[in-house]
Amino acid sequence: MSKLQFRVLYREFLFRLVDLELLSPDAHGDANKLLGQIATVLTMYSVGLGLGGLLFDHRGMPAAAFEIFSMSLEHFLISTTMLVVGLFAVLSWDSTFPDRRDVLVLAALPVRTRTFFLARVAAVASGLALAVVVLNAGPGLTWPLTLSSANPSFLEMALPFVRRTFVAYWITMLAAGTFLFCSVLSIQGVAALLPRRIFLRLSSFLQLGSFVTFLSVYLLQPALASPAALLAPRNQKLLAVLPSYWFLGLFQQLNGTLSPATAPLARRAWIGLAIAMSTTAVAYALSYFRTLRKVVEEPDIAPGIRGLRWLPAFGSAVETAIVQFSIRALSRSRQHRVILAFYLGIAFTIVIAFLKDPRAQRQMTAGVNAPLMMSSVVMLCFWIIGTRMVFAIPVNPRANWIFRVMPIRGGGQCVSAARRSLYLLAWVPAWGVSAAIFLYSWPWRAALEHVILLGLLGAVVVELALYRFQKLPFTCSWLPGQAFARVAFVAYSFLLQLLVYEGGALERRALDEPVLYAEILACLVGVVATVRWWITVEINAEESVVSFEETQTPIITGLGLFRDGVLSTQAGE
Amino acid sequence: MLELRHVSKHFLGIPAVADVTFSARAGEITGYLGPNGSGKSTTMKMITGLIEATSGDILFRGVPIQQDLIAWKQRMGYVPEEPHLYTHLSGLEYLVMVGQLRNLPTRETADRIDGLLRLFTLHSDRHAPISAYSKGMRQKVLLSAALLHNPELILLDEPFSGLDVGTGLVLRSLIQELAARGKVVLFSSHELETVERVCSHVVILHRGKIVADDSIERLRALMAVPTLEGIFSQLAVEQDTDAISREIADLIQA
Repeated sequence: MSKLQFRVLYREFLFRLVDLELLSPDAHGDANKLLGQIATVLTMYSVGLGLGGLLFDHRGMPAAAFEIFSMSLEHFLISTTMLVVGLFAVLSWDSTFPDRRDVLVLAALPVRTRTFFLARVAAVASGLALAVVVLNAGPGLTWPLTLSSANPSFLEMALPFVRRTFVAYWITMLAAGTFLFCSVLSIQGVAALLPRRIFLRLSSFLQLGSFVTFLSVYLLQPALASPAALLAPRNQKLLAVLPSYWFLGLFQQLNGTLSPATAPLARRAWIGLAIAMSTTAVAYALSYFRTLRKVVEEPDIAPGIRGLRWLPAFGSAVETAIVQFSIRALSRSRQHRVILAFYLGIAFTIVIAFLKDPRAQRQMTAGVNAPLMMSSVVMLCFWIIGTRMVFAIPVNPRANWIFRVMPIRGGGQCVSAARRSLYLLAWVPAWGVSAAIFLYSWPWRAALEHVILLGLLGAVVVELALYRFQKLPFTCSWLPGQAFARVAFVAYSFLLQLLVYEGGALERRALDEPVLYAEILACLVGVVATVRWWITVEINAEESVVSFEETQTPIITGLGLFRDGVLSTQAGE
Repeated sequence: MLELRHVSKHFLGIPAVADVTFSARAGEITGYLGPNGSGKSTTMKMITGLIEATSGDILFRGVPIQQDLIAWKQRMGYVPEEPHLYTHLSGLEYLVMVGQLRNLPTRETADRIDGLLRLFTLHSDRHAPISAYSKGMRQKVLLSAALLHNPELILLDEPFSGLDVGTGLVLRSLIQELAARGKVVLFSSHELETVERVCSHVVILHRGKIVADDSIERLRALMAVPTLEGIFSQLAVEQDTDAISREIADLIQA
């Protein structure tokens, strides 16, 4: 194997873990900014947890309480690492196998398949290791020192600068990450041994399924990180299927603090790791070489399902074209579906946290209750916001010339098409599912009243989401760096959580008081009408041009004092 | 008639097209030629409205196209140089979408799409995703999309790229047929033999500037050269092609 070939391919594959073609020309086609953003989020989390470790003072804490605290913290750090690795595996799903472009470009070159394969594996492994290291850089330095100070071992006494906990921490994190990533790879590898058409169809379901599983397990797994809970016979079945607890056992074993409660878990971690790694080695290697042969012969995406080809009209011809395009883009693009699933996962988290609240649990025993009402509001809002976010990510920016040469007017027509798409892809499914659940489980009058208010609230969110949206869904290039929207989104999602408590109580009261209900209804209708009117006025006030390139607002505004032949400060002119 | 009057386009102050003036008449096929990077595709993009000219006017039937860009786009069909298509759609879905975006009547458009797919031998693959299409098949989809609304002006940027011999011959006849029916056809290609057979009038661009604008017969007579290739070599090729090929061969042997 040529070292130079390996280095070149490794570098190429490493930087291809992110799809650069989606980026706006303003991003200069460079992934640094995007990777920087991802690293910043992980680093912020890491620094926050690291500071927690530095500031934590356990003096005065009873030994039993400190033991439960340290086990819970260790478990939290392990499961968070596993979640991040899981998300990394989901996001780099397509990068783990060669694509048609790789095969066609490299087939003509004298590169051994083995070199190609090893460079790919090394690139993916580097990405994985980087994610684990960045995530754990803070807590991995401070928490081992804090946790180990309660029980100094022989090694610590002999070598004060090398702490056993520190080594145990990093080995555990890397082992937990490797276990999860190998498990994903082996599932992919086994699936790739199926006929390629079936694999391509199955692959998108597996990817989405993995994403939902990782998020659900992380959020819903019970807190069992205490000696009593780990030993309780009723928890043994659950512990057998929760790998994050296995690696808690592994950490304890490496740290020299193994107890009867964690010994079986540590054994399971070693067995699980060995099985995952060996299955991956066989299945992934076999499927990789098979994929190399098959990828040239067959199309990249499976043909559409016959029954789903026909779609009805959605207004005027232009509106129909845009809405049908949006439906097909979301239903056929795995990348977009995963991003939407991420937003739905956040909503799911908030709902679970909300329903687990003791106040909510008490109210849930009554038939018509505020917590369930507000859960439907959260799901609806996040579905709409997530879909709107996904609209901003293009399917193929190079192909958007077809929309540019079409006689499409911006302004009202553009917003109307986007509005219909948003209603169809977010409001209708979220509202429809809620309506079915409420009409089935509640008295019809209360259910109907809630469903009407829910629909109107959804309409307000749809209108707000379209503020200054002079784009066609899935066509405008994407500019990384607009972090404000995402930060604001997270901030507002917490604000929403606070509001739902109050809103829920108000709505619950309104269902018993017809006058109050009528007032809320009238208020919401008024808000929908006002926001819609405002959006229309805003759009008509602007130049009616559909935007296809996300542009960066310059920090310094150019005066335009240039002539032809003199370098301009404005791009493109 | 399509007219370009003193049209220039500068990118970051660097001229890509400089003071281009020519016209393409109805019933004629105008060949737009030039070496790589001479500004052909930039001119095509300015005519389609994809990019705006830095200066100058583009007129169709005496009216500046910028006056009503939407109405202009309704009258024009365009085949771009690169076959970038939405590959998650099938060929049929793509053409239906184009018909809807052009606001064409549904039933007639469906019949027209069906006919185009049959004539371009894509009918059996109409439900397959475009990602599975070959380059030639994609080119046929682009041609069908450009002709779907019976445009008055047809802009063809390298339309023969990837087409098989049979379809290439069909396209050549089709271009002549469309011109004979009064359409304005502006046709850019590097295949000089095809241009010579098809076009009545050629415009040659070199380094963003027009170096020839006449009928092929008159250019032959004026320059005393028997072929379009000879004319093109004299006007737009600066290199000694034989010397360069010898140098390349020497270089790889060294």
